[in-house]
Amino acid sequence: MAPETAPGAPLLAAEGLGKGFGSGEARVEVFRNVSLTVRAGDLLAITGPSGCGKSTLLHLFAGLDTPDEGRVFVDGTDWGSLSPEARAAVRGTTIGFVFQFHHLLPELTVEENVALPLFLAGRSEAEGRKEAREVLERVGLSVRAAALPRTLSGGERQRVAIARAVVRRPRLLLCDEPTGSLDASHAAAVFDLLTSVAKERAGAAIVVTHDPEWARRCASIKSLGGEGLSGVS
Amino acid sequence: MISFFLARRYLLASRRDAQVGVVALAAFLGLLLGVAALVVSLALLSGFQTNIRKRLLAETPHLLVTPVGRGEFRDADRFAGKLAAVPGVTSVSPVAKGRVWVSLGGQAMPVMVVGREKEKGLVLDASQARPIGLVAGETVTLVSSRSRLSPLGPVPIVATMRISGIAPSATGRKAAEASMPLEDARRLFALGPDGSTGYELRLKDPEHPARAAAAVAAALGPSVAVATWEEQNRALVLALRLERFVLFAAVFLIVIVAGLNLAATSAVLAATRSGDAAVLSVLGASPRAVGRVFLAAGAGVGTAGTLGGLALGVAAAVFLERAGLVPLPAQLYGMAHAPFRVAPLDVLAVGVLSILWSLLAASIPARTAARLSPVEALRGA
Repeated sequence: MAPETAPGAPLLAAEGLGKGFGSGEARVEVFRNVSLTVRAGDLLAITGPSGCGKSTLLHLFAGLDTPDEGRVFVDGTDWGSLSPEARAAVRGTTIGFVFQFHHLLPELTVEENVALPLFLAGRSEAEGRKEAREVLERVGLSVRAAALPRTLSGGERQRVAIARAVVRRPRLLLCDEPTGSLDASHAAAVFDLLTSVAKERAGAAIVVTHDPEWARRCASIKSLGGEGLSGVS
Repeated sequence: MISFFLARRYLLASRRDAQVGVVALAAFLGLLLGVAALVVSLALLSGFQTNIRKRLLAETPHLLVTPVGRGEFRDADRFAGKLAAVPGVTSVSPVAKGRVWVSLGGQAMPVMVVGREKEKGLVLDASQARPIGLVAGETVTLVSSRSRLSPLGPVPIVATMRISGIAPSATGRKAAEASMPLEDARRLFALGPDGSTGYELRLKDPEHPARAAAAVAAALGPSVAVATWEEQNRALVLALRLERFVLFAAVFLIVIVAGLNLAATSAVLAATRSGDAAVLSVLGASPRAVGRVFLAAGAGVGTAGTLGGLALGVAAAVFLERAGLVPLPAQLYGMAHAPFRVAPLDVLAVGVLSILWSLLAASIPARTAARLSPVEALRGA
């Protein structure tokens, strides 16, 4: 767990979030009145059918998009009060993000992809590579450190993406359908790896998935609908 | 630095990425050839202009000292001594200058003539001899604009002289001048045995005549006017500067067009890598940092093209000068082949301007990439 966060302190607080797309008669309301509090140590799954806005909600949590209504606080800071430069700085230190599709940079080796957040944070190349190798060791890919992403299998790519997301020990790990592009056997391994690595290296994690099987592996589950989030027992 | 790290990878990978590779190669070659063309053109111009300046310095006194108004110097030795004592002055020659009518066989024309100590006979400028068909060896009558008193009243001073030579027209002088021995000129212009209308000075450092001119003016006071060789040939010196500027601006257009290619390269790179830009944003890169990646890619191509162009241009100019591959009619230009002279300041100016322009061109798509919404880019990736 990230040492900076006291147990129980809210890492993420969303208040009355609403988001829609388009304007006029073509406007589609995706969701509204979404409120959520995530504390250190939480492992939360958000489920819902395709198109209900799960990814959009994660983008709002990460400060990549702005809500039409409501506010998002990360570590007590309102995303809306920050300039784009300050948002990037907070995102870099606080948030780790795993996409459904790995989004690895094809020109960089596995090790360089994992070290990228450290390079962006100003670490030296040697330091970044060293830390990246440690995380790659953890996800079982140290032997592929020098490989380019195109030479990896889908499961390996997603493990690299997970390593990249946790290399800076983020307070909050956001995962958008992390196993959505994998077959069932690889998906189980990747999901198990994700949850264990999240516990070791991140303060809390939110996993968006449409698959109830993966959601049940998380400590708590919320379902996203047009009228907001609701708890799932 | 991460921007250069990523930019380098993108450019190296462009060998596999046809879209980026083709435009990057076009931008690189455009800059390379544009910069090389500019360096060679400036070297050629510099070669010609150096030659012209050398001839001007040989034909024109480095400093010309004349009395203010229409006066004359009466005590030649005293003034010459004062002038010779000025630091940087290497020689002082008195001159007697005035206008005469040259006539032969019923035809006459006015001519500006200068008397100098070193001259042995009457030498007319080609442009002075041509109108009335004068040739070397003919004896002409010179009628001075000054007069002398005779028992019948004032009469013009007249002399008869043999034309000892016809000189080719001077390089940059605004008016043609004939030359003759100083003593003959003194008699024609009624100056007396120690009189002169001015002094021609030669300097140790003629490239920087202003300092010596100020020292001469300070030594002789306000009754004299001092003109440097550049001031005496002001029209030509200004024309040479203008020619340099116009040529630089015209050939730099090639570099400008090549820079626009560079903007296209950065734009294509930014468009094809918008997904990467979004990922960088998600990983904590600020918009400025994202922009810097694409700026660095453009700057990389720009710098490589510029440095390659400088090297190619300098090598080509040095080769053309040594090999003498561009022949010229020597009787017209006074040289057998086109001169190429690489001036380090020109090379520096071309390099700096080209790189600055490259940066400016690449900054536009870089700014667009920086403003890209990561969410939109991720949807499209």
